Amino acid sequence: MPQQANQPLPAGYVLNGYRIEKPLSSGGFSIVYLARDETGTPFAIKEYLPSTLPLRAEGVEVKIEDESTLAIFRHGLKCFFEEGRALALISHPNVVRVENFFRANETCYMVMQYVRGRTLQFHIQRHRHEFSEAFIRRLFIHLMNGLREVHASKLLHLDIKPANIFVSMDGRPVLLDFGAARITLSEEGTKLKPMYTAGFAAPEHYRFKPEELGPWSDIYSVGATIYTCIAGTPPQAADAREQNDGIIPLRTLARQDYSKELFDLVDACLELDRMKRPQTAFELQKLFMEEPAVEEKKGFLETINKPLSKLFSR
Amino acid sequence: MRFTIFQDSRVGDRETNEDRVGYSYSRDVLLLAIADGMGGHAQGEVAAEIAVAEITRRFQQEARNKLKRPFDFLVSAIQSAHRAIVSHAVERNLLECPRTTCVACIVQNGRVFWAHAGDSRLYVLRRGELIAATHDHSKVQQLIDAGALTPEAAAKHPDRNKIFSCLGGVVPPIIDVGQDLALEVGDTVMLSTDGFWAQIPASIIGTMLRKQGIMELMPGLVGEAHRRARGESDNVSVVAMTWENQEDPNIADTASLDDEEFASSSNTTQQLGPAGPVDDVTDEDIERAIEEIQNAIRKVPR
Repeated sequence: MPQQANQPLPAGYVLNGYRIEKPLSSGGFSIVYLARDETGTPFAIKEYLPSTLPLRAEGVEVKIEDESTLAIFRHGLKCFFEEGRALALISHPNVVRVENFFRANETCYMVMQYVRGRTLQFHIQRHRHEFSEAFIRRLFIHLMNGLREVHASKLLHLDIKPANIFVSMDGRPVLLDFGAARITLSEEGTKLKPMYTAGFAAPEHYRFKPEELGPWSDIYSVGATIYTCIAGTPPQAADAREQNDGIIPLRTLARQDYSKELFDLVDACLELDRMKRPQTAFELQKLFMEEPAVEEKKGFLETINKPLSKLFSR
Repeated sequence: MRFTIFQDSRVGDRETNEDRVGYSYSRDVLLLAIADGMGGHAQGEVAAEIAVAEITRRFQQEARNKLKRPFDFLVSAIQSAHRAIVSHAVERNLLECPRTTCVACIVQNGRVFWAHAGDSRLYVLRRGELIAATHDHSKVQQLIDAGALTPEAAAKHPDRNKIFSCLGGVVPPIIDVGQDLALEVGDTVMLSTDGFWAQIPASIIGTMLRKQGIMELMPGLVGEAHRRARGESDNVSVVAMTWENQEDPNIADTASLDDEEFASSSNTTQQLGPAGPVDDVTDEDIERAIEEIQNAIRKVPR
């Protein structure tokens, strides 16, 4: 992820009625802030601010000097609108909700519900090797509800990864960051490269062939995400795998007992041939719901008995 | 090559013509294409326009000499038309991507090759008989194939317009390729949209083609298709080609064309340059996009 070179909005700054508290994260295309409205309700506000463009050295206004930067800035803005549109059309507990969208400071802002919790990435880093099979299945059954809704709205997420899955305090997964949605469907070669994350993006995503992308592309990323939960690191990047598939079999990396069915399921999601993967989120969800054949192993039972709360303790 | 071409597209009883037809030929290769923009979706005519314009553009780029792999060309051209439609929707920030059916065929070396997505059709008629046809990507065709519906009942089926492959959809089009068929003198290759084929059975066209050529017969049949719909006619479009005696001096030979010269005709309006340049995003575009998003936020229950 490129470093954000631009100045974030200062704490205390009031933006269209929302008081900025602090930046929460900053990515290639934006900075996300924690902010509160006049009633004190917290929101996550995403500011469109491509990190590769020099836009704000000081103050709050975006200042663009030359024409070509402006053209790139505005092209990326369309992608930001795509994300806003995508999210505005979806209302689902497992998909982040958009509350408002407006223009200010010569750029645009998307106000989202603020979910208390941490990203799945945080949990993986903090609690490596502690994800039980039951926890993984439960988390992804819920996440598939959200993904089904996304696909039913004729959208693809295209950037599913642990950093984009939020786990709320009550253990509910919420799909974040639709920044990549649709970007790849436009064919312009500008400075704003299509977004994909090595290890999580499907092989057809690298090939940049929009006609090959489908729900199965998101399914690949879900497989890579589960792989990361179990192995602690993402699988080999799909473009490298296509050259010479050296993916380390998940079962050799697992530090606790998982069922053969779960390994098979992850393998199926990570098939390089998109037609061999589960084709829909619903299909995958049904696989998550199938109880694995119980192997009478003490260790396994101990694992599922471990209180979930331990996973969320800080 | 010596051939005769007839082409027509009529609005029928609709407000707009969402069908696009076109042909283009060089000395050695001929392209015919037809697209039926889908009325249930926003701007069907835009999708049809882009489809025919993009396939024609690709043809003129690649068919200066004979095509090495006509089927590969057809599939790839239809796919790039699909991508062009999706890009157009993204460029214009359309909430819904416009969609269209598409059939295209190539004639070269005295052979015909075709590919299609959706329920616009290609027929090959020989001595009054239908010897080859596309298989519709439609729900009713699936029911007919399964033996659950007769072709007669299909014509009145409430879902007769539902298709499962198109350009501009969320999933890429399913593209079927046809046979590679050697043409005989007098063979007619005909592409039509459902506004035509739903009204005029292939058997009638075959029978009448025994007595008349396409230039005499087709104008009347297009009018007949419109009339038979009794005031509810869909857009009616046909492009048809009869393969002539290659020695007949009375029929123009494409050999008279210069190198790299193309003769083309279509009812595309050419307002959209195929694969046009990036349009600038104006302040108005930004305001409009924000308003749309705010409307969507208000509309969807939270």
